[in-house]
Amino acid sequence: MRDCLFVVFAVSSVFSLCGLVFVSFVEGSENVVASIELEAGAAIAEAEGKIVICYRAVADADRVGANITGLLVVLNDAGDVLSRAELAYKFGDFDYAVSLALQSQERLSSFVEEADVLRGAAMQARYWDFLVNVVGSIMGAVAVVCGGFVVWVVLRRRYSQAGSVGL
Amino acid sequence: MSYREYTVFFMIVTGILALFVASPALSRLLVLPRTEFFTEFWILGSNHRAEDYPFNITRNRNYGVFLGIGNRLGYCAYYVVEMKFRNQTQPAPNSFNRTSSGLPSLFSITAFVADEETWELPLTFSFDYRYNETLAQVELYNMTANDADLDMHGYTMAWDSRSSGFLGNLFFELWIYDAATSGFRYHERSVGLWFNMTIS
Repeated sequence: MRDCLFVVFAVSSVFSLCGLVFVSFVEGSENVVASIELEAGAAIAEAEGKIVICYRAVADADRVGANITGLLVVLNDAGDVLSRAELAYKFGDFDYAVSLALQSQERLSSFVEEADVLRGAAMQARYWDFLVNVVGSIMGAVAVVCGGFVVWVVLRRRYSQAGSVGL
Repeated sequence: MSYREYTVFFMIVTGILALFVASPALSRLLVLPRTEFFTEFWILGSNHRAEDYPFNITRNRNYGVFLGIGNRLGYCAYYVVEMKFRNQTQPAPNSFNRTSSGLPSLFSITAFVADEETWELPLTFSFDYRYNETLAQVELYNMTANDADLDMHGYTMAWDSRSSGFLGNLFFELWIYDAATSGFRYHERSVGLWFNMTIS
């Protein structure tokens, strides 16, 4: 009888232990999944933020007339990778989502600096363009009018002198 | 040549010369301002024309269309194209109320387009579906769009006796990033294609 009770106790203990191990395993794996999901969500949010920052930089460069064609190619590429990261996240493939979100961010490393360089160059080109083509040509036109007036006055004097001599 | 004729001739020559010299400045100053700012959004068939759109769909067969955006907004724009699918009973984007469809997006496509530029995406897609004889409806499983597998479980199409087919509408909504609100808003543009899911 005692042996029987011992066996029952031993079996129930083993089952309880297995149950505890199983529950802790399931909880642990759920925690791991939740943590990867959070990581993926954060990586995607960060990549989205980075894209917005880069878009603002490129929009600023565009506003001053910079050639942003090359920048847009990179930005579209990063946006495409981010779209795929969002899709992977939607389907629960969080590891792949993190990988793609990081790839998207990597493609935009030093993007803002490049946009700023282009913006600076465009602003300088714009300044010189304004100076030469607007200020320069207006001053040139004024000079032509003034020069024409001076030449006309000089020629008129000569004409009147010649006329008075002739008279 | 009289004195008066000489004066007029001299003034004309000086004026023409002054205008010629000032032409670079005038070309920048005398420009009519743009008054219309808008975005073009289109879908073209596989031969890059507004014809030969796919309609009768065969299971797991690839179809191609071109999706395009033309930016005439006056600035570089950040667009997102939301790809959605619906049957005849589900809500479409409303062009009168200028609202988007409330259906969930299957896939988002990002596009950055400079002012006065166009953007185009070749889109290849296929559908995997089956005919449920008990419910007399077509049930979608999966859609592949440019190598991206999209889950289509829950999308069904009932028999439409008027069109004699199982009709589904693949449509694209255009959203634009609004710097003022730091978020996307519906840009009141959508294009789409109706499909008849054939059962062989």
